[in-house]
Amino acid sequence: MAKVTDIVLWDKPGERVLLLGNHAIARGALEANIAVFAAYPGTPSSELTDTMAAVAEKAGVYMEYSANEKVAFETALSAAWSGLRAMTAMKHVGLNVAADTFLSAVGMGVEGGFVIMVADDPSMWSSQNEQDTRVYAKFANVPVLEPSSPHEAKEMTKYAFELSEKFKHFVILRTTTRISHARGDVVLGELPEEIKQAKRKFGDFKKDPSRFVDVPSNARRFHPQILEKIEKIREELAECPFNWIEGKEDAKVGIIAPGLAYSYVKEALAWLGIDDVKILKLGTPFPVPYRLLEKFFDGLERVLIVEELEPVVEEQVKVWAFDNGIRIPIHGKDCIPRVYEMTTRRAVTAIAKFLGLETPVNFEGIDEKYKKVSAIVPPRPPSLCPACPHRNTFYAIKKAAGSRAIFPSDIGCYTLGLLPPLKTVDTTIAMGASIGVAHGLDVALNGVPGEKETKEKKKIIVATIGDSTFFHTGLPALANAIYNRSNVVIVVMDNLVTAMTGDQPNPGTGETPHGPGKQIKIEEVAKAMGADFVAVVDPYDIKATYEVMKKALQVEGVSVIVSRQVCALHRISQMRRKGEKWPIYTVNEEKCTGCKICINAYGCPAIYWDAEKKKAQVNPLICWGCGGCAQVCPFGAFEVMKEGE
Amino acid sequence: MVKEYNIVITGVGGQGILTAANLLGWAALHAGYKVRVGEVHGMSQRFGSVIAYVRFGEDVYGAMVPEGKADVILAFEPVEALRYINYLKEGGLVIANSNPIPPVQVSMGLATYPGMEEIKKIIEEDFKGKLITLDAEKLALEAGNVITTNVVLIGALTQTPGFPLSAEHVKEVIRLSVPKKAVDVNMKAFELGVKAAKELLGL
Repeated sequence: MAKVTDIVLWDKPGERVLLLGNHAIARGALEANIAVFAAYPGTPSSELTDTMAAVAEKAGVYMEYSANEKVAFETALSAAWSGLRAMTAMKHVGLNVAADTFLSAVGMGVEGGFVIMVADDPSMWSSQNEQDTRVYAKFANVPVLEPSSPHEAKEMTKYAFELSEKFKHFVILRTTTRISHARGDVVLGELPEEIKQAKRKFGDFKKDPSRFVDVPSNARRFHPQILEKIEKIREELAECPFNWIEGKEDAKVGIIAPGLAYSYVKEALAWLGIDDVKILKLGTPFPVPYRLLEKFFDGLERVLIVEELEPVVEEQVKVWAFDNGIRIPIHGKDCIPRVYEMTTRRAVTAIAKFLGLETPVNFEGIDEKYKKVSAIVPPRPPSLCPACPHRNTFYAIKKAAGSRAIFPSDIGCYTLGLLPPLKTVDTTIAMGASIGVAHGLDVALNGVPGEKETKEKKKIIVATIGDSTFFHTGLPALANAIYNRSNVVIVVMDNLVTAMTGDQPNPGTGETPHGPGKQIKIEEVAKAMGADFVAVVDPYDIKATYEVMKKALQVEGVSVIVSRQVCALHRISQMRRKGEKWPIYTVNEEKCTGCKICINAYGCPAIYWDAEKKKAQVNPLICWGCGGCAQVCPFGAFEVMKEGE
Repeated sequence: MVKEYNIVITGVGGQGILTAANLLGWAALHAGYKVRVGEVHGMSQRFGSVIAYVRFGEDVYGAMVPEGKADVILAFEPVEALRYINYLKEGGLVIANSNPIPPVQVSMGLATYPGMEEIKKIIEEDFKGKLITLDAEKLALEAGNVITTNVVLIGALTQTPGFPLSAEHVKEVIRLSVPKKAVDVNMKAFELGVKAAKELLGL
């Protein structure tokens, strides 16, 4: 089990390795001789980005952690305009941020291959919505490739660059969590000489204002050109190596399986023991190649489309069938739910029903038995880590502002502050929205200075936002709040890393894959923007954090508090690597009165309740030694464990 | 060659579940199988309930094991064995670490932690599985470092009746995967897991 960052650079064509879908895509980009990669991390796309960062210098690739997806898109697009192969990667909602540039630049096309990797998250394992990027592809008239396995993801990445170059058009490579975060056997291909020799590739931008300036006269020309291009691509995709027809040639029943659904269909058919069906395996859910449909539909009497989320393929197939006078039954979303991710169970259930068969396992029977389990299994939602500085910040905020204050928050680990006992997150929508919502609530509930009338007794509003999110989309919202004279407290929870997606650097940390960048201090930004009160605190000192919070609440205007302490998970992983030790706390049972403040108000996962002794206890295996419990306990019951205990 | 073998690994985020899944995936790959490992990253890793899937054989496709198809469930925490028991096939085996990690909600008095007898009864009577439990942390400490808890459990897993990979093969993959200075303690942890499972299974 070698290191992934080594494997993706192995010069061993033909070697079989186990790679995560995201790692396989990184290898594919390297095999395709990529020159520029830019991205903002987002689950489930982040491992692609981190792998590119780790190998950038060794492969002669320029890689940047951009401040947000729109900027990343523009960095990569400009490289593609300059004739270089370029890629950007993001989670599905990241494309919303990049959409302005994406949809306006489509008509300009590219010179070098340009691949937009977008990782969707059906079932929302780590996301705020379930949007289907294939709908964007259709909206923008951009082809979308969707792999059915990690190995295919690698091969498709190479094909995506070629397709993009051939048609001078954008190409989306769409994955889902179950590709991006699935490991599979992948066969390595050849690496280009330039990658092996770490030779940096530079481009050439040829000025052409009729192409690169989006004034209406140009834009009017672009739209019909885009439509013409996508039809040519549809024709080309009939020969795409990731689209094929398999199974029984003269079957009466056909199944269309786009992307990863192909894997579930294959397993379902094997489990059911069925082989007299014809399968259309589609690696390009948009545009669906009509020529393949003609061939596939020949002789069929019934068709089932096994598709995850939106009926993107289904709608294209049904329109095509209608226009061509085909009147056989075509089933899709009437058999497969439109919400949540595809599973083998869903595929096997739908296919069994479609064919009038029993499922191989009595799933309803399992569900019935499972009711008993649901009734007694205690919930275990994710929680802020032990020693997480955010816990202390939330604790101090709540104590200073009171639980009747309103707490807009943002996207990051700290969204978990929503859970009991902290319950200091009242709203979360999208990156950067905490500040916009805080300001909006201040307008709605209190009114701002300068207005004829404002509320006398004002609602307290305290927003929380992470360091990376602050730079991502918090900046324009902060400018807006200051400019429009909001009266809110904004707490930037600066844990000196983009923590939730796996410890990436950001403008606040100042590191880049190519060495030191320029570090931007959040407090300096806030001061320069004209915030009325700016302070920096260490949340490991709960009392000091509480006092600064109290002070900020007295200020009229926008207060920005930077609550700065390194991410505990990040710190502990580094200490573990270096073999360093940290203090571990324990409960002095004589001092513990069983008041449960540490559990019912503070809620560290390392502290649990011993129901027999009626005392708090610390699990020494997961105590990471911040000492927050010792500050919160009114009786001094938490003590550092002595060596050898 | 086995056609399809399905392992479900469950536990609490931070226990080394993804590492264990990855190790088993590589062991299967080196044995010449097609492999799929399914994981979830991001928020769920933060001390929440975690499930990972390892599938290998001549024919494997998707990365997730469907309900009712797991040959074995390896649980790093007892209640997490029960939470995902719907994945077990009838007659399958559950190997569980016996050390409970009470969720915050239990400490707050908002939920209760079921007793071991109750867990065993549901697994064996309702889901027709077999449960064995071992104190993996204790064995890991005995091996020299609590961090090898997952290796103890992998060792135990290799003793599952009908397990397609040999214990020696899996052990070798672990030996090659861990840092040099940690080889001895990991090998010891693996052996302790093997021994414990053998006793529990009467092998």
